[in-house]
Amino acid sequence: MNSVIQVRNLTKRYKDAVALDDVSFDIEKDAIYGLLGRNGAGKTTAMSILTAQNLPTSGEVRVFGENPYENARVLSRLCFVRESQKYPDDANPRHAFAAARLFFPRWDQGLAEELIDDFQIPLKRTIKKLSRGQLSAVGVVIGLASRAEVTFFDEPYLGLDAVARQIFYDRLLADYAEFPRTILLSSHLIDEVSNLIERVLLIDAGRILMDESAEDARSLATNVVGDAAAVDRAVNGREVIHRESLGRVTSVTFLGRPEASERAAMAAQGLEFAPVSLQQLIVRLTQQRSAGRDRSPAESQEGSLR
Amino acid sequence: MTTLNPGAAMDHEVPRNRLLNVVRLQFVNTQTFVVVPALVLGGAWLISMLIFWVIGGAGVDGVKAGGGSQAPLWYFLAIGIQAMTMTFPFSQAMSLTRREFFIGSLAAAAVSGFGMALVFVLLGLFEQATGGYGINGYFAYLEWIWVAGPFAAGLTYFTATLFFFTIGFWFATIFKRFGALGLTTALLGLGLVLVGLVALATFQQAWPSVGRWFTETGSLGLTLWGLLLTGILAVGSYLTLRRMPA
Repeated sequence: MNSVIQVRNLTKRYKDAVALDDVSFDIEKDAIYGLLGRNGAGKTTAMSILTAQNLPTSGEVRVFGENPYENARVLSRLCFVRESQKYPDDANPRHAFAAARLFFPRWDQGLAEELIDDFQIPLKRTIKKLSRGQLSAVGVVIGLASRAEVTFFDEPYLGLDAVARQIFYDRLLADYAEFPRTILLSSHLIDEVSNLIERVLLIDAGRILMDESAEDARSLATNVVGDAAAVDRAVNGREVIHRESLGRVTSVTFLGRPEASERAAMAAQGLEFAPVSLQQLIVRLTQQRSAGRDRSPAESQEGSLR
Repeated sequence: MTTLNPGAAMDHEVPRNRLLNVVRLQFVNTQTFVVVPALVLGGAWLISMLIFWVIGGAGVDGVKAGGGSQAPLWYFLAIGIQAMTMTFPFSQAMSLTRREFFIGSLAAAAVSGFGMALVFVLLGLFEQATGGYGINGYFAYLEWIWVAGPFAAGLTYFTATLFFFTIGFWFATIFKRFGALGLTTALLGLGLVLVGLVALATFQQAWPSVGRWFTETGSLGLTLWGLLLTGILAVGSYLTLRRMPA
């Protein structure tokens, strides 16, 4: 493992809330991370501390082995365009891209121009007058064309229509294949990005709930579909995180992965295994954890999934 | 904690010219840094000229010098505020350190202030040569500023622009970091310090010597003191910016 970012016991306390609560994780080189979680879970705070745009209350952050704070050597290799990024008042997109070209050593002007075409960004309109989608697109172009060794995208798709979002995902994957780098993508649209991301960092109420490869994450749970009675027998004693019924057919998602012999037994009963969507898993897990937190804080500290 | 590739960051040099690029970044706001100052300067000049002409028409032949030339210098207060509030968040997205942003912005102000000082010196020389445009009216040539020659006068104008810029920048930083309450508190504190100094001079009955000091120090001396004060303000401003979240 070759990590470009190491976070240890990171806590960020605002006046009225704890945004990050003693968080530790590593980010490996050349991988696409999905930083997932609800609004206010601490995603943006984490990203802005990693890029030294904000300061931790306590704990340690290392990027390329160094503290990123006021460290031009480290910062010049990162790119973080905020979801609510502010631009100079008189600036239009052309100015913003010209500036990015000055500051990002690996900036690719050709790629930038293709993306500007793709997203149909009006270059000469002041940024203040752009639509929400166009504003997001400016950030996406800077993020992609900067080709920074670690690039952060914070909800990059806000206001983008489905076509534009697909362009973003396609372009990101294509460019990543050609120029591997580390990408952290925060998102609510888990289904949309689930084919993109290689690793999942699930953050909830300032804590890391899941730090797995996307593949391992999916195998954390199993989905069986079949006759209601057979399904009930099969999941007896297991931790069910979701259940849906339509007539006599029931679909149940439960935690864990049955062994091959158990699977064979279930298959013999006419049960079918279906893939668990990452979104389902994450939604159910987050709900379950939130409920657990409300009931008893001590209990939720030691969940079976930690 | 373990550092897996300790040499990795060291192998990377900081790309050059980042400070110069911050100056270019600030000048993206052409309106703030070029157009409006030029407009204020031109407008103040025009209005001063008109007033001189009116007074001259009323039969006053003596030397006419107005305070109108201060206007473009005061405007640097606004430049300082805007350089901070408009460009700082974007500078963070450009992966700049706060130090780079601060020094680059100060350099941008120096470029702008240098241009302003140059215009004042050229105008002043012209006024000297033509006897105040032939109507004894002086906008840039103010005698007590020019006693030590055109270079000293230029330095005075330059220092004034940087002084105002730094104050504007610092107050904008305080406002962004600590909010309206913080800014008001800071202004109140500043007011109290000034009142304290006045009280000190009054109780010590030191006003005559204070007045003498100002006269004796002269324009050039005061300019050098102003540079020092600007330097102190700049340090304070940077220290406020240093730990400010984007």
